[in-house]
Amino acid sequence: MLRAHSLLWHYLWTAPNLLLAVLAALMWRRGLHKRFPVFWIYALFEAIQWAVLYPLDLLPSVAPENFWRAYWLSLLVEALVTFALVSEIFTNVLRPYPGLAQLAKLLVRWTGVLLVIVAAVTAAYAPIDNPHWLIPASHILQQAVYMIECGLVFVLFVFAAYFRLTWNRAAFGIALGLGVSSCIHLATWAVMANGGLAQRRYLLDFVNLATFHTCVLMWFYYLLIPGKATAKSALRLPEHNLEVWNRELERLLQQ
Amino acid sequence: MTLAIFIVIAAAIALAIILQIAVSRSLQTSRTAGLAARIQPIDVEAFRNLVDPAEDDYLRLRLPPPQFRRVRRQRLLAMAAYVKAARRNADILIRIGHAALASSDARAVQAAQQLVTEATLLRRNAALSLAKIYAAMAWPNSGPAASRVADGYERLNGSAMLLGRLQNPAVPVRLSAVLR
Repeated sequence: MLRAHSLLWHYLWTAPNLLLAVLAALMWRRGLHKRFPVFWIYALFEAIQWAVLYPLDLLPSVAPENFWRAYWLSLLVEALVTFALVSEIFTNVLRPYPGLAQLAKLLVRWTGVLLVIVAAVTAAYAPIDNPHWLIPASHILQQAVYMIECGLVFVLFVFAAYFRLTWNRAAFGIALGLGVSSCIHLATWAVMANGGLAQRRYLLDFVNLATFHTCVLMWFYYLLIPGKATAKSALRLPEHNLEVWNRELERLLQQ
Repeated sequence: MTLAIFIVIAAAIALAIILQIAVSRSLQTSRTAGLAARIQPIDVEAFRNLVDPAEDDYLRLRLPPPQFRRVRRQRLLAMAAYVKAARRNADILIRIGHAALASSDARAVQAAQQLVTEATLLRRNAALSLAKIYAAMAWPNSGPAASRVADGYERLNGSAMLLGRLQNPAVPVRLSAVLR
């Protein structure tokens, strides 16, 4: 069951990518691709990536080297799309708060620089323990990409929580899915890149595939199912009889 | 492999924090009742006195350097306490402002938006000021840092008063009374 090319493995690699293609189509129909253009591209890209890599993996005529070359190339493109997606979420969350944009930009820039340095240092320490260097190199690349992605999404969540920023439902769902997937993928790729679980790497593949499937379902839920209309009643201000303090304050404000 | 363990632990901590923030966000909407009562009164005048550079100059002239540094550190600690209180109040006001955004009165919504903007800016200034205050504690001879918080807090009081007036025209400026 938990083996490469088992039924579960085929399902976990196929289903989330087909679902993403469906999600991209539904987003187009509902006009959501205009609100989240990069996420729409991301969904489409993931589906296309699967449509290319899945047959390459299955076809006996395709040499393993060619599969890994294609995989490596797709990783680079995926990394670019994912970073653009993180930027889109930041822009979406900060749009109602122009006063925070400058600080957020500064924070993202420096966090990004720091994460790139940490990712490069950890990549330098990872072993190349396979004669086909593309395999460990792709593991190391995945570790580096997810480290940067996880760090940026983490900063976004902490920043929004500190300033009590309100998220719209869709942006929150996309960010949450991205956060969960990047954290778990970072952990699994770090184990793989550093030579852990050498005989049982297929287990980490299953963790990655299952996590991605869960995140795709989360994106479906947050993007397509409308949230509960919480009837917020305007908050009444409390009764306080502090006229003396109030007079003092107004005098101070008029100075 | 040690590096991998370290990265796995860091990723697990990051995931736990992200999930905790996500859960607290979904619970936030149901916790708006009784918020205004939690606003802590702040003596703005005393705070202004603390951040006044002239006061520091006066103390610098009058006191011997070691004593000045000790007094300045105490003043910085007090300043930090005020800034933290202002930050807490701004936090509460952001939540009140968000709840008030659901009002049917367009003017109240506008006032709520202004309140949220001002309170958010105050939290930003409070964070930056606290960093500077703590840095100044290490170098007590450096200049004061938190005057922007005082200005921001005054503007915030103005926004809160406007929102209070619009929501409860019969009982004006209650929130500002609490703030003061």
